[in-house]
Amino acid sequence: MRPHGLERKSFALASTLLLIGLLVTSACRAGDAISKPLVVSKQGPFRSIQEAIHTARAGDTIHVESGFYRGNLILDKQVTLEGVGKPIIHGDGQASVITVTAAGCVLRGFVIESSGTMLVDEDSGILLKSSHNQIEQNELRDVLFGIYLFSADHNLIADNTIRGREYLELGERGSGIHIWNSRDNVIRANSITLLRDGMYFQNAYHTTITGNRVSELRYGIHYMFSDDNKFEDNLFYNNVAGAAIMYSHRIELRRNGFLHNRGFSSFGILFQDSDDCLVEDNLIVDNVVGIFMEALRRSIFQRNLIAANDTAIEIFSSAEGNVFERNNFMANLSPIQLVGKRTTTLWSRLGNGNYWNDYTGYDLDADGIGDVPFKIQNVFEHLEGNYPRLRLYLFSPAAQAIALADKAFPVIEGSKEFDFYPLMKPVVLSVQMPEAGRPPVAGHSSVVVPLLMVALSVFLIVQGKKR
Amino acid sequence: MDFSAVSTIASLEAKTNIRNKWTLLLAVAFGILSLAISYFGLVTAGTVGFQGFMRTAASLLNLVLYLIPIVSLSMATLSLTGEKGASELLFSQPVGRIEILLGKLLGLFLSIWTATLFGFGLAGVIIAIKAGTSGLTRYLGFVALAQLLALVFLSLGALVATLAETRAKASGMSLFLWFFFVLFYDLLVMGISFVLREKMANQFIFVSLFGNPVDMVRVSGLMLVGDVSIFGAAGAALMKFLGGQIISNLLLIAALLLWASVPFLVAGRWLRRRDL
Repeated sequence: MRPHGLERKSFALASTLLLIGLLVTSACRAGDAISKPLVVSKQGPFRSIQEAIHTARAGDTIHVESGFYRGNLILDKQVTLEGVGKPIIHGDGQASVITVTAAGCVLRGFVIESSGTMLVDEDSGILLKSSHNQIEQNELRDVLFGIYLFSADHNLIADNTIRGREYLELGERGSGIHIWNSRDNVIRANSITLLRDGMYFQNAYHTTITGNRVSELRYGIHYMFSDDNKFEDNLFYNNVAGAAIMYSHRIELRRNGFLHNRGFSSFGILFQDSDDCLVEDNLIVDNVVGIFMEALRRSIFQRNLIAANDTAIEIFSSAEGNVFERNNFMANLSPIQLVGKRTTTLWSRLGNGNYWNDYTGYDLDADGIGDVPFKIQNVFEHLEGNYPRLRLYLFSPAAQAIALADKAFPVIEGSKEFDFYPLMKPVVLSVQMPEAGRPPVAGHSSVVVPLLMVALSVFLIVQGKKR
Repeated sequence: MDFSAVSTIASLEAKTNIRNKWTLLLAVAFGILSLAISYFGLVTAGTVGFQGFMRTAASLLNLVLYLIPIVSLSMATLSLTGEKGASELLFSQPVGRIEILLGKLLGLFLSIWTATLFGFGLAGVIIAIKAGTSGLTRYLGFVALAQLLALVFLSLGALVATLAETRAKASGMSLFLWFFFVLFYDLLVMGISFVLREKMANQFIFVSLFGNPVDMVRVSGLMLVGDVSIFGAAGAALMKFLGGQIISNLLLIAALLLWASVPFLVAGRWLRRRDL
């Protein structure tokens, strides 16, 4: 059957229009994606990254192939800079290696090294002065500051490794991630080591910090005048001090580890002049002082493991209206040290206390809560808070005798800190001890030496018995 | 000084102590206690996935502070104020009195050394299995400190035994010495420190440490298993007062060695002059 003449014509017209339409749309799409990325490599077309950035238009992508590229860079237009095979950007040894001044840049997959040496000039691996950037999967080394956010909002800093200058004194290094006067940034899964402070916050608001690892430096977090920030699943270990949080409001700390922070007057977490913080499900283990709080107000601590610290909590009477409930206090040398007469901090709320492994009370009605309130400090620990020199008698028979005597014949007005609902069993925690928190596994050699000691003594005794 | 005589007397003394079950008794008692401390100390910690080596070591330290002084004192006084016949026989031999005293003390030290080695060895096995390798050298240092404490109190025991005429008097005096150094001294110092002005009080406490070997062993033991930071601000002040961590450790060890030798030398002088 043959189609009608008119129908044939309209069919041809329709198909032509369709074809044109298709061509136009595909052309437009190609235009959006900017045809092809600019390529920087030793063979060209571009030999230097800065040259490629000059040529690029806003929105372009630049691929940098592996190799060694000398010289500082400035990202002054919106580009995506993508390293293929970990190219190395070697700075001039002064100022910042990469300075980002245009918003919306992406910087991914580079090794960045050799920044300047001036702390006052913010000499960094990457200095961000704009917003909506993504800094991902870079390795920064031999830098004074790692990544510096200078009035920069809505940035994503993820999966970077930052290693500072080990040869410098702690005080002469910069911070790993330094955030100043910025908001709504996301700091995720970075690994920071060998700097002065892991993360430094000043006037930084609404930041989300998740899954970072910070070790071998001074303060894991150094923090002031910054509100509404959220720390989750981070690990701070083997630092001089874990986190120092000062002059801030509404901070949330959840599922973080503050482990092995040991040094003079060191701590897992320090709070100073802050309020309305929420601290839950954290591991605070093996620090000189687990939690230090001076003038912390209305904050809640729940389901934390506070263990193996020399002093679990050092609290000043200026800390007011805080609540501890359902935490596990285990194997600390002293549970709390109170400086001042007493606090309004509560050690239980609505019938929920904490688990203290030193509690020796009983539970006749078997509801899981001890029938006798737990007096948290013995009289010696109470005295110690206001006379620090007495700490020198830690574990001395005399200190134990005083505590025992006071229990039998209370004469001195002792501590007023009680947990009225002490738990009989530890709270089951959702967080697992991370690998970094575990002690090294026993090797055979370590068992051999004590076994030899036993064998030697048995041998000597048997020898002596012989005629 | 006739060293072959000293070593003969020392081995004789050690053998006597092993045969009369003193050493064995001490080894078993020490072994059971330290085993219990290390096992139960680490068992609670293990359930949550971390190990509290330091707290266990601190408990072991407590065992040392109570037990070693009383055992050393009583062994020394019992041995040196022995039956009349035996000591007459020994002192009639052609050996100097100071050699006899030194030999006896070394023999006693050898038997205490053997017994504590057994106890610390057992505890060490448990700690190594449960808490890992990291603390081994510190642990050995800790054992050495405990044995240094034994040497100090053996020496004090020798002094008591030569001063006292009878065994009953010597036992009474050694019990008093134990009570004084383990408990009373610290209470006294703490009491006095509350009367003094703040700055004086600190210095007084620091200096007074050197007057009590039990305190010295406790402080250096805790510094060894933990760190000086275990004492907080007081520790920092102590380090500053003594001139740094290395110097203060050396000072403490030197003072302990002095405490081990001076009473012995005084006892030796006394013994030489005395008409037996």
